[in-house]
Amino acid sequence: MRALIVDDERLARKELMKLLEDHPGIEVVGEAMNADEAIQMTSDLNPDLLFLDIQMPGKTGFQLLEELDSVPIVVFTTAYDEFALKAFEVSALDYLLKPIQPERLSEAVTKIMDKERSKAIAARNPDKKLGLNDQVFVKDGDRCWFVSLANVRMFESDGNYIKVYFDTNRPMIHKSLNALDEKLDERSFFRASRKHIINLSWVEGIEQWFNGGLMVKLKGGDKVEVSRRQAAKFKDMMSL
Amino acid sequence: MVSNKKRLYWTLQIVGWLSYALLQIIVFSLEKEIPIRRVIFFIVEALICLGVTHFFRYFLNRFKWLGLSVPKMIPRVLVSITLLGFVIYFLRVPVSIVLKVVNVQRLAFDTTQILGFGFFYVFLLFLWSLFYFTYHYIERYNKSLKYEASMIEIELNNLKNQLNPHFIFNALNSIRALVDENPLKSKQAINQLSNILRNSLTFEKRGLTKFDDEMKIVKDYLGLESIRFEERLKTEIDIHPGSSSFMVPPFMIQTMVENGIKHGISKLTEGGIIQIKTLVSDNRLKVQIRNSGHLLNGARKTKTGGMGIRNTKHRLKLLYGEKASFKIVDENNNFVLTEIVIPQT
Repeated sequence: MRALIVDDERLARKELMKLLEDHPGIEVVGEAMNADEAIQMTSDLNPDLLFLDIQMPGKTGFQLLEELDSVPIVVFTTAYDEFALKAFEVSALDYLLKPIQPERLSEAVTKIMDKERSKAIAARNPDKKLGLNDQVFVKDGDRCWFVSLANVRMFESDGNYIKVYFDTNRPMIHKSLNALDEKLDERSFFRASRKHIINLSWVEGIEQWFNGGLMVKLKGGDKVEVSRRQAAKFKDMMSL
Repeated sequence: MVSNKKRLYWTLQIVGWLSYALLQIIVFSLEKEIPIRRVIFFIVEALICLGVTHFFRYFLNRFKWLGLSVPKMIPRVLVSITLLGFVIYFLRVPVSIVLKVVNVQRLAFDTTQILGFGFFYVFLLFLWSLFYFTYHYIERYNKSLKYEASMIEIELNNLKNQLNPHFIFNALNSIRALVDENPLKSKQAINQLSNILRNSLTFEKRGLTKFDDEMKIVKDYLGLESIRFEERLKTEIDIHPGSSSFMVPPFMIQTMVENGIKHGISKLTEGGIIQIKTLVSDNRLKVQIRNSGHLLNGARKTKTGGMGIRNTKHRLKLLYGEKASFKIVDENNNFVLTEIVIPQT
């Protein structure tokens, strides 16, 4: 697995590199000193794994993740940060406390390897469109999630924000629906109207609606109207 | 506060002595019809008592009897109220003669009359003193309780601040990496960290510390942060030679330097400078800490930052009253200036 280490302190990066020498399954492909460097390196190197410090000058680790389209597996590293620790507890994200204990790192690495095997790395999209196997990072106030796109039922635009529907949560992300639409794989996600993008694998039923539109029922009970303009396209896609 | 206490004093004095007069009038009128000159007499008598007790209070404050220990104070108070009791009696004699409340003039100078009334007034003054001193003791006790409570709160907050876990764990992490790279430097760093930890564990027992000792902690602290931030942290220290004769609150300068790093340097991708400068003039020590960064970007408005500053102000006030000062301002050339002025103790 190819990993990128993000930490503003040289010694902290060095220490982690040293600890990772015992884990041949993980190859460190780069080191970034701050969030902007990390964003650049993520798009250049396309790592499978990020070791990410939270408190960095400029942008924090959380802000960095919010700027990434597709988020690799992330292991947070932090010395002590009350606010971050709270976020971890809420969302059960994986994290390592500095100074990092070798046993704790081994545990994290084992967990990552299992996760990656089940996902099959090969499924990652070469054309960089976001498919069902990709995960995104969503932060809303104190809470944050890594959400697999397979679990997202739909996206709903709300002013300058997008509501992300998964499980029972509807956190908001600061993005436009058009920008998101361009990044999503059109075989998995469909732009139902100006306001909605739906996950096709969650569609349960389709009904005729007024003015030649359609009403799509999603698993879990949400109903979304497909505009007349999109309805023909939708019928095309859903038929053989 | 002061005017409130004054108002309370006068209210109690006036209400108290007027009730005394009223009580006399009522008791007298139960027996027989009360002539108007009797009423006037009782009121004047109450006013005399008010005047004498007010003089007594002035006397108490003037010679600070409230500050005396109880065994020293009790005999003094007893002697003075005995004297004052008879003073009241002789002050009321001319009034009673003028108002004709005593039928026979010589009766006013009868020994039993003098002793009887005199001790009656002594007893009144005794009650007055009992009330006055009890009130003051209760108030002083409350004040000391409040003071103690606020000291404990500050100590707790300081302990929490001093043992900043973020700093300690980051330092330990750097030292761990340094063990391979530069064993000598890592040993030095362990000493620096243990010096800081030892001092922060014992500091609560000391009220003030020598300036030089505080600077040693500050230098150890900066040494550790330099390992972490490397070339991103530059320090400049310019100490006035007269600073050594000053005592300072322990960890106060260190806390301000740490704030400068936490809210200033660590937020800057390129890092910055921490500058510590002291000046001595008019028996006062001025400590100036400058750090790269800005004050008004909201960074210092976080909970912990705000608390650190509030704590420092509170500590200075408790230790020095109005003689010490604290300020934190944005300087136009991308620096934040923190300035503490401490008097010679």
